Amino acid sequence: MFILPFIVVIPIWEIISQLELIAHLPPPSLIFSKFIFLAFEEGVLAQHLIGSVYRLLIGYILAVSFGIFLGTIVGLNKLISDTITPLLSLLISIPTIAWVPVLLITLGLGDETVIAAVFLGGFFAITYSVIHGIRTVNKNLINAGKIVGAGKYKLFESVLLPGSLVSLIPGLRLAIGYSWRALVGAEMLAAMVRWGVGKMIFTSRMSNVIETMFLGLLIIGIAGLLLDRLLLFIENKTVVKWGMVTEG
Amino acid sequence: MEFKIKLGNILAIIIIFIFFLFWEIFANYEIIQIALFSKPSLIFLKIYDNGFEIIGHLLTTLYRLVLSFFIAMIIGIFFGMLMGYDQHIYRFFNPLITTLMAIPGIAMAPIFIIWLGFGDPTIITIGIIVAFFPIVYNAAIGVRSIDKNHVNAAKIMGAKKKHLFLKIYLPHSFTYIIIGVKLGLARCWRTIIAVEFIAATGYGLGYMIWDAYEYLNVTIVYTGILILAIVFFTIEKTIIREVEKKTIDKWGVLHEQVS
Repeated sequence: MFILPFIVVIPIWEIISQLELIAHLPPPSLIFSKFIFLAFEEGVLAQHLIGSVYRLLIGYILAVSFGIFLGTIVGLNKLISDTITPLLSLLISIPTIAWVPVLLITLGLGDETVIAAVFLGGFFAITYSVIHGIRTVNKNLINAGKIVGAGKYKLFESVLLPGSLVSLIPGLRLAIGYSWRALVGAEMLAAMVRWGVGKMIFTSRMSNVIETMFLGLLIIGIAGLLLDRLLLFIENKTVVKWGMVTEG
Repeated sequence: MEFKIKLGNILAIIIIFIFFLFWEIFANYEIIQIALFSKPSLIFLKIYDNGFEIIGHLLTTLYRLVLSFFIAMIIGIFFGMLMGYDQHIYRFFNPLITTLMAIPGIAMAPIFIIWLGFGDPTIITIGIIVAFFPIVYNAAIGVRSIDKNHVNAAKIMGAKKKHLFLKIYLPHSFTYIIIGVKLGLARCWRTIIAVEFIAATGYGLGYMIWDAYEYLNVTIVYTGILILAIVFFTIEKTIIREVEKKTIDKWGVLHEQVS
C-alpha cells in the first residue's frame, strides 16, 4: 500500500526526464545505475553511510544523556525552571545550522564539529520534552506516592520518571529528526569531513554530477524516514501499548 | 503566580547579564581567545557601527521568510484539507509526503542551484517546500480526526458543501492547522538561514554569517547568531503566541507544543 504511489510516480518521472521536458532532471534509471555503481562497484556508499551513522549515534546519545539530565533538574525545581526556561527558548530560536560556523571556528573542520551539531540539534528537543513530561505527571499520583511514604528518590524513580515517559519518548522521535537534519547540514559545511551522505551531495556539486545529488537526497530521505519509523515503533511498543497516549 | 513568573524572568535576565560579563572579562584577560570567541563589547560595537547593513540583511531574510511561508501556507492548507477529505488522495500522497518531509532543505540546495541559479529563486523555492510539508501533513490529520457524526448530522440537516466546509471542516481541524503552520514557520526560518549559507548572493543573515566565517571575522558571526536568536524569539513570543491565544486557547484546547 505504501509502495503504490512510487510505482506510479517513478515511470512518469522516467518519461519526463527521457523526453527532457525538465532540464537537468536525471531519470530514475540513471539514478539507480549510479546507486549500483557507488554501492557495489566502487563501494563508497557504505563508507558514506557508516560515517554518517557513527556521528549521528555519538551526537544523539550525548544529546539524550545531557537532555534527560538537564530536563530532570529543571523539571523538578520551580525556581530553576523559571530561570532557565527563558534562556532555553532564546537558545532554541537559533537554528542548529547557525552554530556550525562557530563550531567550525572553535572545534575545527572535522568530525567534532559535525557531532557537536548533531548534539545541539537533539539536545533542546529532549530537554524540553523531559521538562514537560515531569511537569505534567498527574499530581494525584505524586500525592499518593507521598502518602504511602515514598522518599524523594523513590518518588522520582517510581512516579516521576515513568510518568514523564509520555513526553520523553515522542521527544526522542522529534529529536532524532532534528539531529539527522543537523548532521546532513553540518557534513555539507565541514570541509575536512570526507565521508557522509551530506558530503556525498556536496562533493558532487563540485563535479556537477546531478544523479549523485538525487541519489544522496533519496538516501537521506529514506534513512530519515526509517529512523523516524524506528522511534515510532518504540513509541507504539511502550507508551502507546501501556495506554499512556493514544496512537497518533 | 504573576509575581513568581516575574522573579524567574528577572533571574534569567541577570544570568544572561552575568554570562556576557564573564565572557567579556575572560576575553580581556585572554583566558579565552578573542580570535575564536570574540567578546560582547566588540559585538555591540559592531551592531552600533554597521546597524544599517545588518538591518538590510535582516530585512532580506524576513522578506524571503514571509514570501515563502505564505505561499506554503495557502497551498499547504488547501491541499492538506483536500487530502483529509478524500481517502484516495490521502492514501496516494501520504507516503510521498512522509518520505520527502525527511529531507532537510539544505540538502536540496545543490540541485536547486543547478536549476534556478544562486539567489532568491532557489532560497524561496526551498523555503516553500520545507514549510509546505508540516502544514499539509497536519491539515490532513486535522480533517481526518473530525468526528464523522458531526459531518453526518450536518448533512442530514441539509448542509451544503460550502457550509460543511466553513462550519465543520475548517473550525474542527483548526487546532491541527495551527500546529502545522507553527512547525512550518520554524522549519522555513531554519532552512532559509541554512540555504543562505550556500546559495545567497550579497544579502541575508545566513549569507552575512557564512561570509564572515569565510574571512574568519568571528565578531560578525556571533553578531549574526545573536540577532537570529532575538528575532525568532520575538516572532515566537509575540505573533505566534498571539495567534494561539486568539484561536486554540480560546476554543478550550490547550497545547503546550514542543517545537
